[in-house]
Amino acid sequence: MFNVFEGRPETRERGEVRAATEQTGALGMRVENLSAFYGSFKAVADISMDIQANKVTALIGPSGCGKSTFIRCLNRMHEVIPGAYAEGCVKLGDQDLYGKNTDPVNIRRRVGMVFQKPNPFSKSIYENVAWGARINGYKGDMGELVERSLRQAALWEEVKDRLKTSGLGLSGGQQQRLCIARTLAVEPEVILMDEPASALDPVSTQKIEDTMHELKKRYTVVIVTHNMQQAARISDYTGFFYIENMGDPGRLWEFDETSKMFASPDRKETEDYVTGRFG
Amino acid sequence: MPRETFHRELDQLVEEVLELGREVESCMGAMLDALEAHDAEVARSQLGVDTRYKEWGAEIDEECIILQARQAPVARDLRLLYTVQGVTNHLVRAGTLCEHICRGIAETSDAERDPDLEASVLEMARGARELFRQGLDIFETRDIDRARDLEAADDKVDLLYSEAMNLAVNPGKEGIGSPEWRVRAALTVHYLERIADHGVDIGGRTVFLVTGERMESVMRQYRDRHLDEYDD
Repeated sequence: MFNVFEGRPETRERGEVRAATEQTGALGMRVENLSAFYGSFKAVADISMDIQANKVTALIGPSGCGKSTFIRCLNRMHEVIPGAYAEGCVKLGDQDLYGKNTDPVNIRRRVGMVFQKPNPFSKSIYENVAWGARINGYKGDMGELVERSLRQAALWEEVKDRLKTSGLGLSGGQQQRLCIARTLAVEPEVILMDEPASALDPVSTQKIEDTMHELKKRYTVVIVTHNMQQAARISDYTGFFYIENMGDPGRLWEFDETSKMFASPDRKETEDYVTGRFG
Repeated sequence: MPRETFHRELDQLVEEVLELGREVESCMGAMLDALEAHDAEVARSQLGVDTRYKEWGAEIDEECIILQARQAPVARDLRLLYTVQGVTNHLVRAGTLCEHICRGIAETSDAERDPDLEASVLEMARGARELFRQGLDIFETRDIDRARDLEAADDKVDLLYSEAMNLAVNPGKEGIGSPEWRVRAALTVHYLERIADHGVDIGGRTVFLVTGERMESVMRQYRDRHLDEYDD
């Protein structure tokens, strides 16, 4: 496992992260010794990783190894489940997400999330996108914000003539891109995606993947996926989560550049998993 | 999610490559027998193997492409397909060279020979065959520790190559061996050197298959390690 900020200098220096941040406004995240619990059950343990700004980081691993739990810790969504809590440190830029004075609602605005199943509101396409910005007190040109968000989510051309119709009338793939647009409208710095294409057909999946290539130019993207080829296609870095023995918490077993993880990973378990020898 | 069918197909593919390798090795054995006994019949029995090896190699290549298209392999599976294609290419080329040598033996069996040069060619042929055999064995057993030794053994074949070429150009006795035979002997020496290289390369490709690292990089690490030990 390498440390993004302190690893091989040609790609992983702090300077590179800062330069990207200054250019796009996106921030990287640093996770140190993060453990997540459901009551007394420790679901993930001692996760340390750096998530590069303006890159796509994919998290892979067998079911139940804590990927989704981990990703929900990155915007303090984990703790909304009764009895669930996290220990350790997560930083967005210089801000400690779990600091005493940190407002979780503000964190969830800065670190947006797209879920497995598209979940548009029972409102118009326009209102779906505008809603989050409005309740956050957005004072700018709402029409311009909606168009910009829909364009970034690669949906504008398909819906520009029917913005007043219900978001629920869109196809599954369009609904998912609407949810991405809704996330973008509140101008986050990081976007978390929990299996965003697993319920979609191949064409819609391809559109979501193309969208992610565009999104990383402006945002930092973290995606949980069970689709190994999707991780190989879209991500710059890949983290493999693994449970060594039944009942143990999930751990970040290996983390490296995606090209390395899918060509010649360092650890046998990673290689066995990505080649389909277990899981 | 275990991909048992795919991994069974990969095992079958490797077995096919090994089978091709064994055939080429057997052709090499016949070539050596023909060289030693000046036996045109044995040499002629190998003419035509080249076409068969090429067709066989093309079939393996096609299977690799189909598996890549259908199974989207990664990591060791991807390295295996990449290695299989490379090793197959080395096997086919080595087989082609064997046939060239056999053709030379068949066509010059009655020609007058230079005993010194002939002895040198024979020694080189034994060395090249052994290197090829070892390369194939390393691929089969994945015993990559031996791949490094193969490079050292190849240096010996390279030395024999220089000696044989020197004898081909500067015969010990004036007028010994017919000109046609001398040209054929020089070509044989060149082919044998290539066959030895193919054996070494098969070992090197196996290193990549197992470790994901290129042979050159492994050799560099090996040399650096020795320098470090010397510094201490």
